[in-house]
Amino acid sequence: MIEKGKISAMQMGIMMYPTITATAILLVPAITARYAKQDMWLSPFWASLIGFLTVYIAVQLHHLYPQKTLIEYSEDILGKFLGKAVGFIFLFFYLHANGIIIREYGEFVVGNFLSHTPLVVVMGSMILVCSFAVRSGVEVIGRLAEVIVPVVIILILANIILLIPDMKVENMFPIMEKGIMPSLMGAIIPQGWFTEFLLIAFLLPYVDDRNKGKKWGMISVTAVMLTLSLINIAVLFVLGGITSRFLYPAFSAVRYVSIADFLEHIEAIVMALWVAGVFVKIAVFYYALVLGTAQWLNLSDYRPITFPIGFLLLLFAVWSAPNLIELIHFLGSSSPFYRISIQTGIPLILLFIAKWRRKTNNQKLTQQG
Amino acid sequence: MSIVQKAAKILFVSVHLILLSGCWDRTEVNDLALIVGLGIDQKKDGKIMLTAELIVPQAVGGGGQMMGGGGGSGVSGQTVVRSGTGTTVADAISNLQEKLSRRVFWGHTKVVVFGEKAAKAGIRQHLDFLSRNPQIRLRSNVLVSKGTAKSVLELLPPIEQSSAEVLRELSESQLLLRVTIKEAMQMLSSDADVAALPMVKILPPEKGKKDLQTIAFIQRTAIFKKDKMIGDIDDKLTRGVLWLRNEIKRANVTVTLKGEKGNITATLIRAHTEFIPKYEKGKWKMIVKVTAEDDIILNGTKLDLLNPKYTKMIEKELENETNKRIRAALKTVQKEMKADIFDFADIFHRKYPREWNQVKNRWEQIFPTVEVIVETKAYVRRPGVNTAPQGLPEQEVKQ
Repeated sequence: MIEKGKISAMQMGIMMYPTITATAILLVPAITARYAKQDMWLSPFWASLIGFLTVYIAVQLHHLYPQKTLIEYSEDILGKFLGKAVGFIFLFFYLHANGIIIREYGEFVVGNFLSHTPLVVVMGSMILVCSFAVRSGVEVIGRLAEVIVPVVIILILANIILLIPDMKVENMFPIMEKGIMPSLMGAIIPQGWFTEFLLIAFLLPYVDDRNKGKKWGMISVTAVMLTLSLINIAVLFVLGGITSRFLYPAFSAVRYVSIADFLEHIEAIVMALWVAGVFVKIAVFYYALVLGTAQWLNLSDYRPITFPIGFLLLLFAVWSAPNLIELIHFLGSSSPFYRISIQTGIPLILLFIAKWRRKTNNQKLTQQG
Repeated sequence: MSIVQKAAKILFVSVHLILLSGCWDRTEVNDLALIVGLGIDQKKDGKIMLTAELIVPQAVGGGGQMMGGGGGSGVSGQTVVRSGTGTTVADAISNLQEKLSRRVFWGHTKVVVFGEKAAKAGIRQHLDFLSRNPQIRLRSNVLVSKGTAKSVLELLPPIEQSSAEVLRELSESQLLLRVTIKEAMQMLSSDADVAALPMVKILPPEKGKKDLQTIAFIQRTAIFKKDKMIGDIDDKLTRGVLWLRNEIKRANVTVTLKGEKGNITATLIRAHTEFIPKYEKGKWKMIVKVTAEDDIILNGTKLDLLNPKYTKMIEKELENETNKRIRAALKTVQKEMKADIFDFADIFHRKYPREWNQVKNRWEQIFPTVEVIVETKAYVRRPGVNTAPQGLPEQEVKQ
């Protein structure tokens, strides 16, 4: 095995938490609000179903091939040629997806804070930091997540608590005015984010207590679901009907905090917690990509290709969209189907084929025996 | 270590020196013009005049050192007012920037004042600018001024540092309406599509003071339909409106009891308004339940207020008085102006979504016909810290 580090199942769960929420709390509430209106808090519940399904698929595949990652067992399942092709699809997807994530990060920072700093500098410095983490291996990323995530969760909760004086509960009503459909429509976009749980397929082989892998995967999905729903509720209570008019509703809501005239202008905290979260997110994606590429090319070590792939990521981040409007259009239209088909659809097919092959193999064995 | 390795190391370190010089967006405080108040006026030719009230840093920061010197110049002159014109607010800003040696910074904008003319012409595009700019806070207070916004910001208030600060403090006191940018946008995009903003008027300066040594105070409420101001109501009616918006925080109510000479004034401790929407046989009905808790702060009668009998009488009168205020507000705003600033539309929408959606396009016609039933309940909790009226001989006190 290329990776010699070991993480615990809990660390894996903790790593996955910011991997989903970090970018999901930025652009997603506005897109959800556009479809679901005052039912936006329901959408994460529907969306999480695909998260549970994805974790289930990844865990099942892991049980069939305990020592291998997604890239390796696609070859075992589909044979050399098709397996490599599917592996390439995955790798290309993660390259593209991570490029988009980095772009989202850059757009947010440049759009809100450093409006004259070139995007490439903001994105490039983040990739550089992440590449150091990735080179250090899965153990280091896991421990980083353990340090960062509790702080992130506490700060998210603290911000929501500080917003309580400005919340108006009546913004939530009427619940399900036009039936269940708007909230389901609003769930389509967050679904794309939940499918990112497939990344545990890259982490599970390195989990120490592997029987707990499924449990912590599910806990992580639940935590993400609750966080997104809580944030949607908070944003809805504060901004009400105009939620969808903001690009980053959660951020705009936090800027509204003012307690006793001096506890205000706290968006710098949000920024800090959010950059920390996105750092873990990019690092996990980046790690999966680098590890997968090394396995796909049958390299003996993944470290040498970390920086070259980082450079490629920067290019993809720049190329992924000409401007923020196109980026949001992509995220709000075709991206959920793109992500679901690759991150849930293909693994599901892999699982069926693997099960079917096992079965026929077993039959052959029994016939021979 | 070979020379090549050494050179590589030195090169590696020196590359980082480039980064040490800082980033693109560094801004020194002494390069910024901190805007605390923003005024938007519409000129006769339709152009926008933007007035910014800027902090003069030396004057504010140097306050501590001046103390010992006993300068006596007062606190005025700590802010500067500059204007720029253009076809839009953004245009006007670039025009304003030409006249400033420092770069404008919006992060500390406390109030946004719309001149009456600008308000009548429509404020939507201005609000869009204010919320689209990442520096401006959605919490800034929005006001409308009688006359131009510039005349309000120009004032040199005797107590506070800037007229923007005066307006913010007055807004936050919530004696009358308080509206932030966020709330203004919410009102204009709600079902009712109307807004109410506080309106300020310049207080005439005291004798012997210069014209500018005064403040503007919140005195009226401007009513907007769509995004255009259609009229305004005075402070009395505004209090009635506050009851109907469940926003009343402070109020003194003076009543007289039947058969008694003199007044009794009660001050509001706590108030709550509950709305119960009803839709029956095509008729929209709103039951407004007002609960108020008061303390007595003035007793001009001869009554000993420790007698529960009198408390009941006072409560009754307080209810009548509150009712009267609310009725008056309803009469003007609902029947005459036909503007749903109480947000009844949203309340009906929440309770009767299906029925409401059928009439949503005709709401402006339906709103004046909504039957409003006001049920007020007032409680007198304490008689202040006195019992019998002060300054009255014992035998004259009515038990």
